[in-house]
Amino acid sequence: MESGEILRRVYEARRRRLREMWETLKSNRAAYVSLYVVGFLVFIAIFGPFLTPYNPYDFDLSRARQPPSFAHPFGTDELGRDILSRILEGARYTIGISIASVLLGVVIGVILGLASGYLGGLWDTVIQRIVDVMLAFPTVLLAIALVASLGQGVASLIIAIAISTFPVYARLVRGVVLQVVNEDYIAAARLLGKSKIYIMFKHVLPNSISPIVVQATYYMGLSILLASALGFLGLGVPPPTPEWGAMIGSGRTYLFSSPHIVVFPGVFIMISALSFNLLGDGLRDALDPKARALLRRG
Amino acid sequence: MSLARYVGIRVAQAIPTLVGAMLVMFVLVRILPGDPARLIAGPEALEQDVQRIREQLGLNKPLYLQFVDYMSSILRGDFGTSIKYRTPVIDEIMARLPYTITLALAAEAIAVAIALPLGIYSAIKPRSKASYIASVLSLVGASTPIFWIGLIFIYVFAVSLRILPSSGADTPRHIILPAVTLALLLMGNLTRITRAAVMEALGSNHVLTAISKGLGSRVILVRHVLRNAMIPIITIMGIQVGALLGGAVITETVFAWPGIGSLLIDSLFYRDYPLAQGIILFIVFVFIVINIITDILYAYIDPRVREVLWRAGRS
Amino acid sequence: MEKVLEVKNLRIYYELPQGIVRAVDGVDFEVYKGEILGIAGESGSGKSTLALAVAGLLRPPAKVVSGEVLFMGTNLLSLTEEELRRIRGKRISMIFQDPSTYLNPVYTSGFQVAEVYEAHRGGSWRRYVGDVVKLFRMVKIADPERRVNAYPHQMSGGMKQRVLISMAIAEKPELIIADEPTSALDVTIQAEIVELLNEIRKETGSAIIFITHDLALLLEIADRIMIMYAGKIAEIGRAEEIAKDPLHPYTKALLSSLQYERKKRLQAIPGSIPSLISPPPGCRFHPRCPLAFDICSKKDPQLYRVGGRVVSCFLYGGDHGGSA
Repeated sequence: MESGEILRRVYEARRRRLREMWETLKSNRAAYVSLYVVGFLVFIAIFGPFLTPYNPYDFDLSRARQPPSFAHPFGTDELGRDILSRILEGARYTIGISIASVLLGVVIGVILGLASGYLGGLWDTVIQRIVDVMLAFPTVLLAIALVASLGQGVASLIIAIAISTFPVYARLVRGVVLQVVNEDYIAAARLLGKSKIYIMFKHVLPNSISPIVVQATYYMGLSILLASALGFLGLGVPPPTPEWGAMIGSGRTYLFSSPHIVVFPGVFIMISALSFNLLGDGLRDALDPKARALLRRG
Repeated sequence: MSLARYVGIRVAQAIPTLVGAMLVMFVLVRILPGDPARLIAGPEALEQDVQRIREQLGLNKPLYLQFVDYMSSILRGDFGTSIKYRTPVIDEIMARLPYTITLALAAEAIAVAIALPLGIYSAIKPRSKASYIASVLSLVGASTPIFWIGLIFIYVFAVSLRILPSSGADTPRHIILPAVTLALLLMGNLTRITRAAVMEALGSNHVLTAISKGLGSRVILVRHVLRNAMIPIITIMGIQVGALLGGAVITETVFAWPGIGSLLIDSLFYRDYPLAQGIILFIVFVFIVINIITDILYAYIDPRVREVLWRAGRS
Repeated sequence: MEKVLEVKNLRIYYELPQGIVRAVDGVDFEVYKGEILGIAGESGSGKSTLALAVAGLLRPPAKVVSGEVLFMGTNLLSLTEEELRRIRGKRISMIFQDPSTYLNPVYTSGFQVAEVYEAHRGGSWRRYVGDVVKLFRMVKIADPERRVNAYPHQMSGGMKQRVLISMAIAEKPELIIADEPTSALDVTIQAEIVELLNEIRKETGSAIIFITHDLALLLEIADRIMIMYAGKIAEIGRAEEIAKDPLHPYTKALLSSLQYERKKRLQAIPGSIPSLISPPPGCRFHPRCPLAFDICSKKDPQLYRVGGRVVSCFLYGGDHGGSA
């Protein structure tokens, strides 16, 4: 068989596998429902501000801490702001920060993982050392240290979470590279005289995509928890931004008399993390078993 | 290879990681906004006083020398002086540490006491109700914001039912809510891994040998299934120590538990950066040490591990 | 001669989502005291399932559908779990195919052998370390005092198989079942292990069921040989009779493939073993059989007696009038 022919067949097989993955995913009911929930969350992250029944920032102390009612389905907070409106507005912070940090983490991790696995030698040693050091920090603690050092704000939150989580992708991609690099079609590509960089991005990377997608889906769940935890601790986005964790942080003072201020944002955080985790489970099960061995939830 | 030798190699391997962690903290402190000397001296201090402090702290030396100073003082146990308390950081940490250790151990104990039996049982009886509970727990554990569930617990048990105190650490009963909250963070994953590990061990060929020898089912379960399953379980417990320590910071803040986690968050609000970085570095050290202990335990249980590391160490 | 084992009309099916696999489908045979009965067949012939069933080690989805396994007169299939436990390792023992996965990696080899004594004689395993050293000497493990403290990963494949054998003979059982005990080993070590089993048989008087796909090996060591094909018995006879005068066309094909190239062994017969979910009607070998005639595809042959031998082929019996 000619080397070009091998490549063609590999791509054909990969297309078939993607179709099979989709079928398996659809047959997993929890994952399929989660897909819609995730779609809904992304929708409110984008269009939330246009859907708010009230201005999420307008305060009116005369209607502070009202329990849920017809006018305010989730009640009002300590400054009389409509909680539903704030949750809709806040989705773009909690969900948006998580998406951005996962994307950034994936980019850093993939580049380092590819370099580590494919270039090997000194590159591998240095990158693995960096990854080891990063993994020596408990994730939450590293994120806390980073936001404290970078200062409050959306950008530093994204960077902090991305840096705290990239080592996992780097390890993952390195593992896939080492698995894939000896296979026939890579040898075929080499015989065709392609450069290392070309082979890395054109042939090795596509093989890593499905495990990365699964891992990134799990890490969406983790990032939502991390971002909201930092918000809760008062280290995230500064007030009055209605980031879900920060809403819980500022509402906790009134927990004894008005628990609804704390309850609703938490429910949204939990549903978000839950649906990303369920979707991750579904994607993992749909994935081929060889790649599955490299994955880990949260 | 002997266990002692393994321990030696494993400790030596941790040294670059330790230095790396110190470097990360050193860099983060340098990025911090504001002049540390000015922070210590206070906003009203004269420029010459600030300059004097700067010299005392060695901030006028080149960066790499500052890092060497920083490292050597940390290795001597000197983490600097707290701006707020004006006492050595290490003293503050040591004063609060027992609370954090108690909380972490209590949480780990609760998590293990529930996750191991549940995971083992659901592996042996995969179609039982316990198995279903195990998978729900594993999912919920990975998806619940613990600061939120902690507040819900306070509302339910302290405000509504009035059966447990909401915060502080005055009586032994005060530990129940924070420990359960923190345990929830660990339980799900631990159950899932236990279940998978026991299933894997149950299916292995050496179990057939054990049956064919005529061993009783209890002996088979304990010696040839659980002991082998402990290898992945201990691995995940080692990994989880990170989550445990990070979760402790959040839990302590929710329940006003006076450990080093709530101290860390307080110190960040007071901009007491020497204290904050001291605590973080201290926790990282603890994490590294626990990882070494986990690996040693691992080598004790699985004799193959010692050889593998030995070979890796030589190459 | 005294019968150690008598298997009657045994059927073992695997109930899989794709259908029912008739792995062992109506098998009758006996094993006599002190003999080596060799069972030969291609993979998928049901020989390993049969071995597990005799040792009482079948696990779902395998299910005994009918038949009896009489060990010294008692039906093993009707015993309780505790009664079976007392027999396993003491009166019936098992040697498996792949020594590297059948030893527990986290215990020393000596401990794992001593467990046999612990299970049947009680007390701590430490009491039996001396006995284990003797056993190791018997199975020719060099430096046995040191090897009892060795972990499986510190031993070669051949040595691990000797450890498993020492486990199997520890209590001098009446029956040892060896399921492909040499196929994972080098050829030279294979010969040593076979020689060892032969010596053990003489020393302990145990009967051995030796299962393999290597007919040539069986011709050397077995007293009697049973040939299996697709879950059924093709032929049973004394080793020298089988070698000199095979009756069943399948046996004949096996033997001629041996002569012609030892390496290729069973693959030299054209065609492949049929699906056990929907086996061909009539004799299961007929699609590959050079001597098949019309009845072979219609009726299932019985086991016909030819002299002291048993063969399942219409050439030797049945109502079409064939004769021996």
